[in-house]
Amino acid sequence: MDPKLKQCLTLVLGVCLTVTAHAEVSVTDSRGEQRFESVPERVVALNWSMAENLVELGIEPVGVADVAGYRKWVAQPELPESVVNVGKRSEPNMERIADLEPDVIVLSTDQAGLADKMSQVAPVLFFDAFRKDHSNAEKAREIFLEMGRLFEREDRAQHQLDMLEARFIWLRGRIRDHFGDELPEVTSVGFASPTVVRVFGRNAMPWYALRQLGLESAMPQPASQWGQTQREVADLNQLNQEDVLLYFKPTVLAGDLLEKPLWNALPVVEAGRVAPVDTSWVYGGAMSLRYLAENMTDALLTIEP
Amino acid sequence: MHAAASLLATAWPRYVLGLGVMLALVLGHLQLDGDLGLAEQWRLITGSQPSGFDQVRFYYTALPRALLAIMVGAVLGTVGSLLQQVTRNPLVSPLTVGASSGAWLALVGASVWLPALATDERALVAMVGAMLSVGLVLAIAGRNGIGGLPVILAGMATHLLMGAAASAIILLNQEAAQGVFIWGAGNLTQNDWNWVQWLWPRLLVLPLMLALAPRPLTLMRLGEAGARGRGFSYGPVLVMLLIGALWILASSITAVGIIGFLGLIAPNIARSMGARRAGDELAYSALLGAVLLLATDSLAQAAGDWFGELVPSGTAAAMVGAPALVIFAHRKLSHGDQTALALPQGARRTTWLTWTVAGSLLLGLVALTLTYTPGAMEPLSGFPFAWPSELIWSLRAPRLLTASAAGVGMAVAGLILQRLIRNPLASPDILGMSAGATLALVVFTVWTGTSIYHAGPGVAFLGSLVVLVVLLIVGRRSHYAPGIVILVGISLAALMEALVHFVLAQGTQSAHIILGWLSGSTYRASADRALMLAAGVAGLVMLVVVFNRWLTLISIGDPMARARGVNVARARLVLLLVVCALCALVTALMGPVAFVGLLAPHVAALLGARRVLPQLVLAAMVGMGLMTLSDWLGRTLLYPDQLPAGLMAALIGGSYFIFLLTRRRLG
Repeated sequence: MDPKLKQCLTLVLGVCLTVTAHAEVSVTDSRGEQRFESVPERVVALNWSMAENLVELGIEPVGVADVAGYRKWVAQPELPESVVNVGKRSEPNMERIADLEPDVIVLSTDQAGLADKMSQVAPVLFFDAFRKDHSNAEKAREIFLEMGRLFEREDRAQHQLDMLEARFIWLRGRIRDHFGDELPEVTSVGFASPTVVRVFGRNAMPWYALRQLGLESAMPQPASQWGQTQREVADLNQLNQEDVLLYFKPTVLAGDLLEKPLWNALPVVEAGRVAPVDTSWVYGGAMSLRYLAENMTDALLTIEP
Repeated sequence: MHAAASLLATAWPRYVLGLGVMLALVLGHLQLDGDLGLAEQWRLITGSQPSGFDQVRFYYTALPRALLAIMVGAVLGTVGSLLQQVTRNPLVSPLTVGASSGAWLALVGASVWLPALATDERALVAMVGAMLSVGLVLAIAGRNGIGGLPVILAGMATHLLMGAAASAIILLNQEAAQGVFIWGAGNLTQNDWNWVQWLWPRLLVLPLMLALAPRPLTLMRLGEAGARGRGFSYGPVLVMLLIGALWILASSITAVGIIGFLGLIAPNIARSMGARRAGDELAYSALLGAVLLLATDSLAQAAGDWFGELVPSGTAAAMVGAPALVIFAHRKLSHGDQTALALPQGARRTTWLTWTVAGSLLLGLVALTLTYTPGAMEPLSGFPFAWPSELIWSLRAPRLLTASAAGVGMAVAGLILQRLIRNPLASPDILGMSAGATLALVVFTVWTGTSIYHAGPGVAFLGSLVVLVVLLIVGRRSHYAPGIVILVGISLAALMEALVHFVLAQGTQSAHIILGWLSGSTYRASADRALMLAAGVAGLVMLVVVFNRWLTLISIGDPMARARGVNVARARLVLLLVVCALCALVTALMGPVAFVGLLAPHVAALLGARRVLPQLVLAAMVGMGLMTLSDWLGRTLLYPDQLPAGLMAALIGGSYFIFLLTRRRLG
């Protein structure tokens, strides 16, 4: 072929490819519709649940805030080795973010005030994930779908959400097989100190996961932004002997509470209806519901029906 | 013996009353949770084995909690009384001499870096922290300063410094520090007898102190010469007593966390009820401390039941204690302490050299801030200085402008206060005006559940204004005696801290946002807000320049000012309003900034700027320089992590201030 013609064809082909790759995408974040000229490739996530969403969608973020903290406290899913730390979540380092030349910066709850600043560096998506006046878990699904749309992986996102639903159904089945038709009421807590527990109530991710497993709350709490209420350990006596109490690991903050007479005299503990849940991040995104549901089911199955 | 007998003869109704109230409170306290009958409770107290949850709950939570409240309350009362008698200063307390902030800093550090510490080791850490911090305060205040204002100011400065360091640790280790938050808020909730059993042997020193302390304390009132005349040197005994007091205090703090105010209020109430003699005051303060802590803890528990959410006892104590303290001060302490404190004198006057050096340093700092790229410090990235690109400029310039304007604003506010109150240690952070603005913003946030960044300058101004009104009402009678004015500041600061601890203790992901804001950050400064702040500060400073004659005349003395035809009352009010507006503006648009207002005017004077106008200009330059430097350090030291400028300023300024105070003592 004539080298000139070849060159020309390559050029045309190249232009065509570029045009397809540069398809415009538009997504809706908490501030309204956001347009992108092309699918973003270099992504910076300044919130752990947003980083989690990216990894679940198969996108490797170039930068994440407080990478070491994520690896320690969120753990699942794992961040890629190559990811760059861009500072703490409360004050991510803008100059380092600018160095990474991102195509989009993803912000979440409590970072609303950063949106304007960050948009000097790159286009910003802000998802207000945790609010008192919406369902955090439903919102998490929406956010996941929107992020799928952004990266033209909507099908994958939808598929994963369907899988999540299927997972819930399967886990629900296991729980029914175990407990029979009379399902216990369940409440999950985390330890804040040897004397104080965080009760996960309405609008907390663990609360939602339990509901998806078909389990009602044994100690209903009013909805709040993060869905957690701090109570004295002794207040767990509201749970009766038919209920189930789940507590999240790690239990370092609880000290030796679990060996103490007060804990063991709680009706629900005395009846042996208490079980530990493996470490799970309770402020995560849609896919964290899966880890929560799985870990909580594993714990529930250790309880005598 | 004779003294004890005569004391018994006159004071017994007071003790019977105190014990009666305490007994009633214990009874009430025990009924707060669970619904056991009194007979059943009595059987459990007298040794019957608990069975069933209600009995277990009574035996393992209600009983130890009440006992612990009595023990800790008695410790706080006794230590407060001892400190007040030794320093002969009614404003001294564990809180004001820095003991609690020292313990807090030590334990925050320990929980992050040594999370596996056992209880006893934690107590030791808290104790070492408390002792170092109190030692520092006493060293700064010096022998002469201990009885008056200097010790309070040194305590406040140390408190701010330690608090800033603790906040820095928390901000850099958000999740790991969670464990200390509930403890920091002061929580008496118990789930077994461990803490009671741990604490009581340590408190055996307490009765010993009550027995040994009266004699040296009484002799001390006679003065050193009088005591020596009786062949008794009380120095070593007092040192032993102080160490003992710190020991029981640190142990109590380890057991239940930080509970402020009681140690300050209890001895004051004891004195006002007639406990004048040394031993009487100590013993009665112990009793009152127990009564007060039982009462506030009952309140905390009731509030917790009401809200369906844990309310730490420390929060309740501060809510009740802060207003009580102000009211009490208003009634009792007129014309109190007029001690002024002289800081080291510097140059006699400014020369052209001073101005050239100051100006070029400032310019150099600005250039450094704008051109230095911290990322380039990493290997192979080359030369770290570059003219900022448009983007980098748009990131750095608003921060620089915010930091500079805040520095200027606080420096000028400090200068006005120091001249008005004629005390070189007055400043908006120590007098509580910044705290008022901060408190208003924090309350607004907690109340409405909105982000603290959305509360505007209006809320902050309201807060400062309320403080100003309180200061005017409380201060008018005492002619703005520094002691009273500072007391309002201390109350507000402690109240604010209790609220902040309450928010932190809720342990949600939002906690670090408030903490970050409280540290005074330029991070979120937008160009608009930076310009707004700069314009506001510039306008207010111009106003001060126009009225600089008032400042000159008032700082010489009211009669002088009056003789020259100044309406002193009105001039004071206008100038105080300007201070308020400056504080509100800076606090709302950037966050609280400590120490700059205190130090900048002082450094200016050290450099030789003695008259109002030169001092104003030089102080503004120093304030601007300090804040710019702080912002730059906070941005680059731990790159890519950042520390807020206000926090860096507190660390730098606090250290320098302590250095200055020590030099004053030695020199």
